[in-house]
Amino acid sequence: MRDIKNKKILVTGGSGFLGSHVVENLITRGVPRKNITVSRSKDVSFAKTHARVTDDSPENLGVDVIYGVDLRNDEDCKKVLKGQELVIHLAAKVGGIGFNQEKPGELFYDNIVMGARMIDAAYHMGIEKIVVLGTVCAYPKFAPVPFMEKDLWNGYPEETNAPYGLAKKALLTQSQAYRAEYGFNSIFLLPVNLYGPRDSFDPRKSHVIPALIKKVADAKVQGESFVELWGTGKATREFLYVEDAAEGIVLALLHYEKSDPVNLGSGTEISIKNLIYTISRLMDYKGEIRWDRSMPDGQPRRMLDTSRAKREFGFEATTGFEDGLKKTIEWYIKRQNKTLGS
Amino acid sequence: MNLRDKKILVTGGAGFLGQHVVNTLKKRGVIEDNIFVPRSKQFDLRKKENCAVVVRGQDVVIHLAGTTGGITFHKEHPAQTFYDNLIMGAELMETARIEGVEKFVTIGSAAEYPEHAPLPFKEEDVWIGSPEEIHTPYAIAKKMLLVEAQSYRKQYDFRAIHLFMANMYGPGDYRSSFVLPMLMKRILAAEEQKTGFIEVWGTGKATRDFLYVEDAAEGIVLATEKYDSLEPINIASGEEISIRKAVEMLSRLMNFKGEIRWDATKPDGQLRRILDASRAEKEFGFKASTDFETGIKKMLQSYHA
Repeated sequence: MRDIKNKKILVTGGSGFLGSHVVENLITRGVPRKNITVSRSKDVSFAKTHARVTDDSPENLGVDVIYGVDLRNDEDCKKVLKGQELVIHLAAKVGGIGFNQEKPGELFYDNIVMGARMIDAAYHMGIEKIVVLGTVCAYPKFAPVPFMEKDLWNGYPEETNAPYGLAKKALLTQSQAYRAEYGFNSIFLLPVNLYGPRDSFDPRKSHVIPALIKKVADAKVQGESFVELWGTGKATREFLYVEDAAEGIVLALLHYEKSDPVNLGSGTEISIKNLIYTISRLMDYKGEIRWDRSMPDGQPRRMLDTSRAKREFGFEATTGFEDGLKKTIEWYIKRQNKTLGS
Repeated sequence: MNLRDKKILVTGGAGFLGQHVVNTLKKRGVIEDNIFVPRSKQFDLRKKENCAVVVRGQDVVIHLAGTTGGITFHKEHPAQTFYDNLIMGAELMETARIEGVEKFVTIGSAAEYPEHAPLPFKEEDVWIGSPEEIHTPYAIAKKMLLVEAQSYRKQYDFRAIHLFMANMYGPGDYRSSFVLPMLMKRILAAEEQKTGFIEVWGTGKATRDFLYVEDAAEGIVLATEKYDSLEPINIASGEEISIRKAVEMLSRLMNFKGEIRWDATKPDGQLRRILDASRAEKEFGFKASTDFETGIKKMLQSYHA
């Protein structure tokens, strides 16, 4: 096992949804706060203003923050890597299905260039180990379910998120190439769809769970008798609670040193239809659910085979789906009340 | 698109293929002053600011620059091959889009096809599996330029196209890590040193789609003029030639009577590689016109000249 308590650790995207949980996981494991650095694209004034209204900003976690960083830029990568020993590269441009359809060019360019520059700079700056994050969107649209790592290249991803998924998948090739040519310790993980507190609820960018929670919450506030959803509700997804994902990433940092990619999932599959009924029940919403069948479902099924992560570094998700959903809903409601009250 | 009055950037324009593309453009009536060939010593295209400088004021970009070198280079330098090709292409296309370039042509390769794609390779099969392992970093970097071209077309209506080139050969090819010039040089060395034999890697059974470089340049220029679509397109001869046949042809044309020793312990590479050339013919009337023997003769003449 790698000793991380005396290491300087950079978490790119460490102020984001997943990143903030990874930072907390590191702190819980006893990594001194002063050893953790988070890079942010936001400038310092925005970040400070934001920190006042939320309780989860890196400023409030007491870790080092470098502001105004553009990781698409080689010099900025080198600047944030200076003096670091381990890197968890989580910075990414992401969005929901609508954002993916509108901005494929941006999603492609930003993600691939950020990743490629970061891996290359990390190698040249003598970083000991880097953890690179891929996405379930990298899998072929029609990969056999559950998705196994060996099937990653056998087909084109679901069209709406292909540019994003492929940009991330290319970083696997880079990671493997750098290990082969330079012996650089770069590993690559493929998390499934995440959910949990601090997820984005911005309707332009949000993923399915926050989007549904917000829809139901709004319908309740406005007394709407129904909510309308895209597609048929038949598509299935697997969701991983964000704290479990953070645990998986840190376990991989500690124990995994190979070039093969590893899935991070929960091993449970749920249809969008079941999901909305569960959310409605947990939020005590009695209205009707309507389906707009003219809109796309996205990929028909998504579920990962999680056996490699268990075998290689003993990772298994432990949070039950309803527990995770409850915590997410509670967080959202609390934040809403706080924003409205302030 | 009529290229005559366009300002055209040809990255890699001083290289083997690039020189022929520049010549073809000149034959189309493009004046020399309107063709810009940046040199890598002056413009390292892995830096975005250099990309921005070279694309500024250009109407058309033909992006041929690449870090490659055949099977040995790809095996020894997977990281460099991946990074250079990916970053150069990604940044050049991004800056070209920002600077308002009208048309952007990215040059890919048959190596992008899955190792086990059905033969002949058809454009729609490019995503069905992994490329041959040794070429994967090169292939994935190139495939990313296809993805970038497609996603920019969708988001920005940017007119970028992507071509899969067959194995090219012909005059000006002294890249000793590629199969035909390498074989030619081995035969010359065997003659000179009177060893009486040459040694060739593999079994000779592997096949390739060899495209004469002037035909390749013609295909690229035709595509630049006439092709404007999301879908990638093969530029190939459509003819399948085994390495054994290529060696025999070279030996005959070079009057080499010595022995050919096959070293079957060395890899053949991808066993068969042949591209379906029909889409390019249908879409913009491209058909390779130089047969293999004529092409080899021209390659040999230029070497001796």
